[in-house]
Amino acid sequence: MKTAVLILLLSATPALANKVFVSNEKGNDVTVIDGDTLEVLGSYPVGNRPRGIAISPDGKELYICASDDDLVRVFDPETMQELHTLPSGPDPELFVLHPSGNPLYIANEDDNLVTVVDTKTHQMLAEIPVGVEPEGMGISPDGKVVINTSETTNMAHFIDAETYQITANVLVDQRPRFAQFSDDGTRLYVSSEIGGTVSVIDPATQAIIHTISFDIPGVLPEAIQPVGVRVTADGKKIFVALGPANRVAVVDGDSLEVTDYILVGQRVWQMAFTPDQSQLYTTNGNSNDVTVIDVATNKAVKSIPVGQQPWGVVVAPN
Amino acid sequence: MRWFILLGLLAGPTAAWAAQATPDWPCIQGRQDHLSLGQVWTGPPADPDRRADPAITALADRVVQRRMPLPDAEAAIADFAADADDMRLAALMQAVFDRIDHQRSNLIAGISRYGHQQARLAAQVDARRARMAELGAAASPDFDAIDAEEKALDWDTRIFTDRQQSLTYVCETPVIMEQRLFALGRAIASHLNP
Repeated sequence: MKTAVLILLLSATPALANKVFVSNEKGNDVTVIDGDTLEVLGSYPVGNRPRGIAISPDGKELYICASDDDLVRVFDPETMQELHTLPSGPDPELFVLHPSGNPLYIANEDDNLVTVVDTKTHQMLAEIPVGVEPEGMGISPDGKVVINTSETTNMAHFIDAETYQITANVLVDQRPRFAQFSDDGTRLYVSSEIGGTVSVIDPATQAIIHTISFDIPGVLPEAIQPVGVRVTADGKKIFVALGPANRVAVVDGDSLEVTDYILVGQRVWQMAFTPDQSQLYTTNGNSNDVTVIDVATNKAVKSIPVGQQPWGVVVAPN
Repeated sequence: MRWFILLGLLAGPTAAWAAQATPDWPCIQGRQDHLSLGQVWTGPPADPDRRADPAITALADRVVQRRMPLPDAEAAIADFAADADDMRLAALMQAVFDRIDHQRSNLIAGISRYGHQQARLAAQVDARRARMAELGAAASPDFDAIDAEEKALDWDTRIFTDRQQSLTYVCETPVIMEQRLFALGRAIASHLNP
């Protein structure tokens, strides 16, 4: 009996550990990579124009924004079989999952709404009117504050996760694309694609405390278009994907100075850490690959060919 | 105006990064007139004196050709790299970059001309339609003139539609050239001394 329980415990986790899921916007599929061997395990059709991708904290449900199907498709990450769909509102692009795994907050680019969906009952809970062309979605580690960025209004909207009311608007640089909290919740990073900057915001006061800008020798400024942002758990390193500059900037969490520009692949947009944060995966939309970055040394260690126009990436939890 | 609507329909769904289509730039892809070497290369900068090296210019001329399969280009670069130091590799990279950026800029200017031609053709289609309506509304319609106008309208519409269908491919070509440049850059960089 004891042995059986042990076997169950042992086999429950490693089966999925560190599988990497990449949504291919043009290929209409998801590429699954073995995080240990860095080999591609397979690719699976997931609906039309998959972009945003997330996984439940227990690793049992994989959520994909099927933008051209106007819904979120939910898959079993183990078998890649579709389990069910969630209502998303039109043209879902990016979403964020509550740290508890429920609900899901979805940005609807075409109708200026954030849709809130219960991942258990599959019901729509609310539609929150926000600025024009909502895109970036973030959530505070305590799950109390949801952030949405609107590309045309150039704002980060602070939304109360319980009342669904907007509590503050912060004007940032042109075309904000992504919002990411530090793990301790004391900082919010918002990238601006056309502005070419990352705004560092104090969530308590909603004030911009610093603006990070980027300057890469030998790269024209218009090619520097920040999109994805990821912060290490200790807050010491901030990684910023710089789009057609084909680089990922490494920013020191204390000084907020850029320490490195890592050459990855073409049009790098989104990124995801492995659970131990030793590696960071980047999606390179024009070179149709993902790059594996070694977080300790800031080096690109491998490029893995995936499907057509990789957009988002998520790594299965341990 | 009509042309913009047609263009919008044919260009398909606009992406987050989509540029607004205009006659100057009728593509949904963002317009970027020039590339930067730093987008594809983190090796040493090229010494300007080395660029005229005939072995380098000849190899650059060959590998930038899109009809040369990439594995063949990579093999040719590997042969060159066998007895080339980092400075020669940097010079090759610069030569490759200069060629592809030049070709790509010419292409972008060409896409602009294409866009303007389409705008002119769309205006002509509208004018012919108006003329047909005018002829048809006359007290005693000149049916020969209407037939001639209709035939011309059919041709113009057909040319417009054909060209519009080619636009998707034409608009993707700058990115295809960037992909080649990036792949060649990666191949050359792989031979740099660590």
